Amino acid sequence: MTAPNPAATSPAASSPAGSIYDLGYRHYEGKRNGRAYAMWSLFVEGLRNVWGFGRPMTAKAAPFILAGLYALPAVFQLAFSSVIAQRVATTGQAANLLDYHSYFEDFYYLVTFFIVAQAPELVCRDQRYQVLPLYFTRSMGRIEYALSRLGSLATALFVLLLVPYVALFVGDVLMKPDTFAAIGDELPKALPSIPAAALIAVCLAALSLAISSFSPRRAYSAIGIVAYVLLMEAIPAAIYSIGQSGGWAWSDKLFLLTPITSLIGALSWLFGQPLDPEFVSGSLTAGAYLAASIASAGVFIAVLMYRYRRMPA
Amino acid sequence: MPLIEASGLTKHYGQVQALEKLDLAVEPGIIGLVGANGAGKSTLIKILLGLLTPTSGSASVLGMDTVRETREIRHIVGYMPEHDCLPPDVVATDFVTHMARISGLPRTAARERTAEVLRHVGLYEERYRQIGGYSTGMKQRVKLAQALVHDPKVLLLDEPTNGLDPVGRDEMLDLIKRTGTDFGITVVVASHLLGEIEQVCTYLLAIDAGHLLRSAPISHFTQRTPVLAVEVEEGADRLVVALVARGARAKQDGARVLIALESDALYDAVRDVVADLALPLVRIQQERGRLEDLFRDAAPASGIVQ
Repeated sequence: MTAPNPAATSPAASSPAGSIYDLGYRHYEGKRNGRAYAMWSLFVEGLRNVWGFGRPMTAKAAPFILAGLYALPAVFQLAFSSVIAQRVATTGQAANLLDYHSYFEDFYYLVTFFIVAQAPELVCRDQRYQVLPLYFTRSMGRIEYALSRLGSLATALFVLLLVPYVALFVGDVLMKPDTFAAIGDELPKALPSIPAAALIAVCLAALSLAISSFSPRRAYSAIGIVAYVLLMEAIPAAIYSIGQSGGWAWSDKLFLLTPITSLIGALSWLFGQPLDPEFVSGSLTAGAYLAASIASAGVFIAVLMYRYRRMPA
Repeated sequence: MPLIEASGLTKHYGQVQALEKLDLAVEPGIIGLVGANGAGKSTLIKILLGLLTPTSGSASVLGMDTVRETREIRHIVGYMPEHDCLPPDVVATDFVTHMARISGLPRTAARERTAEVLRHVGLYEERYRQIGGYSTGMKQRVKLAQALVHDPKVLLLDEPTNGLDPVGRDEMLDLIKRTGTDFGITVVVASHLLGEIEQVCTYLLAIDAGHLLRSAPISHFTQRTPVLAVEVEEGADRLVVALVARGARAKQDGARVLIALESDALYDAVRDVVADLALPLVRIQQERGRLEDLFRDAAPASGIVQ
């Protein structure tokens, strides 16, 4: 408590409810920032929110465990890079290493868990606890709100996706005897991981937020995301396998609707690798999957904005 | 400049008419907005905030149109909703600071204003705790604080005393009164309790079923003769007879006797009569003006015959 300062006491302090510490109400004469600042503030709050900062420890558990698990294989490879390098040098056999282009393909389910857990966290709480009217009566429009939330989740996902790529890069460089030459060798292979992480981040953030925004209940939103991803993967695959025998040439086009398979196909394009027949069947090109992924992100962003435009407050 | 102006303001939700051709012109002050639940108070407030678009007609706040100049209005208003609007797992200071920043206050200013405003609403050490553990009274204070934190010119409070106990109610009303008089902020308070509005307001707007019932300074409403209610366990009829015999205007209302309180001598009369008749007295209280009275008074004026 500060000492009472009679000089600063305004007439308001004489009211019965005011204590001797009451300096009276002072008006705010300082700077007021505009919409961009409000969006930035909401973006930062959202980013902290996704990772559980400023909230109890339990809120941090899910995001950190999932992000940790997703990065674990790459970090493991980094930690054992010297051992692997020695083994390769002594036995002369090439090590079977994790690769940039197949990393997401191998561990995508952890990223899916992450959006299932954290996208509802970001938008459902504001609906459930009816915080939205407080935003919408400030210098925060509905579209600005939706875009800020999208930015927060996409940025969080981008970081989550980029960490293992960086770990792979550092590990691969350390395995080589000549570090500088290794950086030169590895960089062209590693660089596409930046657009790759960005593409996955934006696509999955848009998808999960658009679905989450339809329910104030976290559980329903999470189920919605899971159901969408599973069904949109399973239905095209089922129709394709029926179509194989029935001679439906168009049936592989349905793979463009898949959320995860399309992303895996798009990554093949970004990393300049052939499509992995284990994951991606049909005659479609990697470029088609890239276009499909970008289009789906656009559609989901539009849905998200439409939803917030129409949301009652 | 009038605080609120409305002309032909109408809002329909499908078949339901929430507001019907409302014409208003209200000067700044502490404005009470009274009406029963569902009378259209919240709808009016939401239209003023630009959260709802009127079906027809127009409204303005300090000369700014609620549809065309929504953004300008939002810089100068603070809104305390009727419903809960606080996330439970966030610390109160963090929440209010965040809301200050959304209103455009830079980081440091937001922190300072938060500390100041929370102190004004009477939250001290508790402000470092999570909102989920707060009592209803403390939550209402946080809701008021977030509406005040960016120093608005106009404060719109929707049922600020909802769910509060009598002490909390009086504290909240006192806070509202200080906000209006000492802080120099124009306040619009919506409530269904005329009694509490009377205590703090300078101007009263009464709406019923979407129609404007009355719009006048508070002094116009309080000139009625106060009523004393005496509640007895039995013998209310005998009490009325005895009081009327002493020249008082009294009538029975169930177990209660309502007496027009024309002079303080009536208190003595009531005491004597109750003692003489040895009636089991439960309570004596001055009736607060209730909404029903207001509507009864207003009925002839608005042409409704009961």
